[in-house]
Amino acid sequence: MKLMRRHRSWLSVLFWIAISFVTLFPIYWLFVISVKPAVELFSTPELLLRNVYWQNYIDVLNNPTLRGYMLNSLIISSCNAVLVTTLGFLACYALTRFDLPGKESIFFWTITNRMAPPAVFLLPLFLLLTQVYRIGDFKLADSRIGMILVYCTFNLPFAIWTLRPTLDAIPRELDEAAYVDGASPWTVISDIVFPLARPGVAVTLILTWVFAWNEYLLAATLTNFNARTLTTGLSEYVTTTGTAWGIMAAISVFTLIPALIVFSLVQKHIVAGLTFGAVKG
Amino acid sequence: MSEERKSKTRQPGFLPIETNWFDRLFIAAVIWVALSLFWMRFLEPLGLSVWISTVISVVLAVIIVKKG
Amino acid sequence: MHSKKLGWLLLAPTLLILGLFGIFPFLYVVWVSFHEWNPFAANPAKIFNWAANYRKLVFDAQFLASLGVTMAFVFFAVVSEVIIGYLLAQAFMKDFPGRAFFRTIHTLPLIMAPIIVGSIWKLMTTPSIGIIPYMLKHTVGFDLNIGTSAVAAFAITVIMDIWHWTPLVTLTLIAALVSLPSEPFEQAQIDGANKRQIFWHLTLPMIRPALIATVFIRLMDAMRTVDEVLMLTGGGPGSATRYVGVHIFREVFPRTNYGYGSAVSVIVLYLTIVICWLLYVSLIAPRTRKGSS
Repeated sequence: MKLMRRHRSWLSVLFWIAISFVTLFPIYWLFVISVKPAVELFSTPELLLRNVYWQNYIDVLNNPTLRGYMLNSLIISSCNAVLVTTLGFLACYALTRFDLPGKESIFFWTITNRMAPPAVFLLPLFLLLTQVYRIGDFKLADSRIGMILVYCTFNLPFAIWTLRPTLDAIPRELDEAAYVDGASPWTVISDIVFPLARPGVAVTLILTWVFAWNEYLLAATLTNFNARTLTTGLSEYVTTTGTAWGIMAAISVFTLIPALIVFSLVQKHIVAGLTFGAVKG
Repeated sequence: MSEERKSKTRQPGFLPIETNWFDRLFIAAVIWVALSLFWMRFLEPLGLSVWISTVISVVLAVIIVKKG
Repeated sequence: MHSKKLGWLLLAPTLLILGLFGIFPFLYVVWVSFHEWNPFAANPAKIFNWAANYRKLVFDAQFLASLGVTMAFVFFAVVSEVIIGYLLAQAFMKDFPGRAFFRTIHTLPLIMAPIIVGSIWKLMTTPSIGIIPYMLKHTVGFDLNIGTSAVAAFAITVIMDIWHWTPLVTLTLIAALVSLPSEPFEQAQIDGANKRQIFWHLTLPMIRPALIATVFIRLMDAMRTVDEVLMLTGGGPGSATRYVGVHIFREVFPRTNYGYGSAVSVIVLYLTIVICWLLYVSLIAPRTRKGSS
């Protein structure tokens, strides 16, 4: 009987190795393409790598346009993550500590902002950012600040959604005690609530960063050059030069790396984040 | 959803779910849009004005909000 | 407690940003959708034209076709994902070494940018360089060409979506299965129930809430799929994979017929809201109508 069970468990392992192969092979293949010279791509595909050819990566790093896109991606996603986490934290503090009329409706409404399909908002956001939201000559369209604000539409609801349970779990008595001691609301938030909420804040910061980094559709329509991100750079390579497969793969790897790092940091929270907490991962 | 959106205790209406006035107004609006679109596609070419569908929708809306 | 003013002050920036970039664009697009407006036409002004855009829209064969393929895509993708995801979750419930490790690997596609997923699958399926067409040709002699065959392109987008999102279904169902109590199942086995009876009468009713939640989340996400399809097929060949999001991006947006484009956006949003609302009703409403958290 025991032997039988052992046998079964090895079958399970084999099965999951096969599944993992299906999961990992496309990513492996991306890497393989990115380290091959263009001439080799059209010959017989080989599953194993013989030699590694780094020129595609060097070309990407030497391309000033792509370097600019990378910088834009970094600045936009970092600023956006910090902004939405800060604002989400303050909003959740208000939602959990104050008895505001209609706050559950407000909470529900903020969440619906994330559920809206971005394609629907392409046209109105484009029109508003190019024609309506402007100060003198400065338009929000094709500016980093504009993209940082636009990304709030999907990241801010997410931050509020994930931070609310964190703040709910922090006992209100701690705040009360500090207020009795004469502390101002800002010191309570920054010195008492924030340190206790730090793990939740870190997860929120990291996941919102990835969502902003991964975004493509809005960046592709709302930017021309100044605020283009790496994901839009990737699509440019496909449409203008259909043959630069190696470069395209190398850009993809560059786009993928931060996400992989983040994945290793917070993989337990990803499922809860993607299902709106409907399922605790 | 929340306390303030929950209406006062009332007779259950004909809709299969518990609703308040806002939910029923929303349902009526959804039906109005759907009916108008179908009307424009299939019945307006036959010569029936889209206003007829609007009138039907308004009547439906009143029934849903009152009794739903 | 302390003044409500402070509470509103803390909420104000959030409400302001979401108002400016969420609710106002929504109202704006509804307003524009009732106008004739093409800034590059002979008359660049906005002209109010009642429901003319919507009248045009219900007869727009391209748009209706794109709605049709979207529904087909969503149906095939979500059904396959739920079935495969459930089978994988069940396979995961057995006791075997390295479970956490395999689970981690299985989570990997979820964090990847959709556009990267599209790019990966493009590299794998483009006829001249892709490994999948090569393998198919040399093993079974099948000529896979997503550039010319509508069915192949459609199937590859579905497979790509399955690769990308099945892990989400698996992981949510694992969470649901793990939390099931064991007594009813032991009792059922003592009573001599077979596997199928246990599934239909015990497992399925017990994981139903998680299952519905997962299906609807996948449904909504699949409906707004744009990036990966744009990258993989660009909506082609013809209009075989031109799903609504792709349709808006490729056909509606560049035309600068803003009034009509707004009408398309409004109707897509309308469909999404109706589905979201059904989700809300079927998930949250039947429960104790308490806060939605």
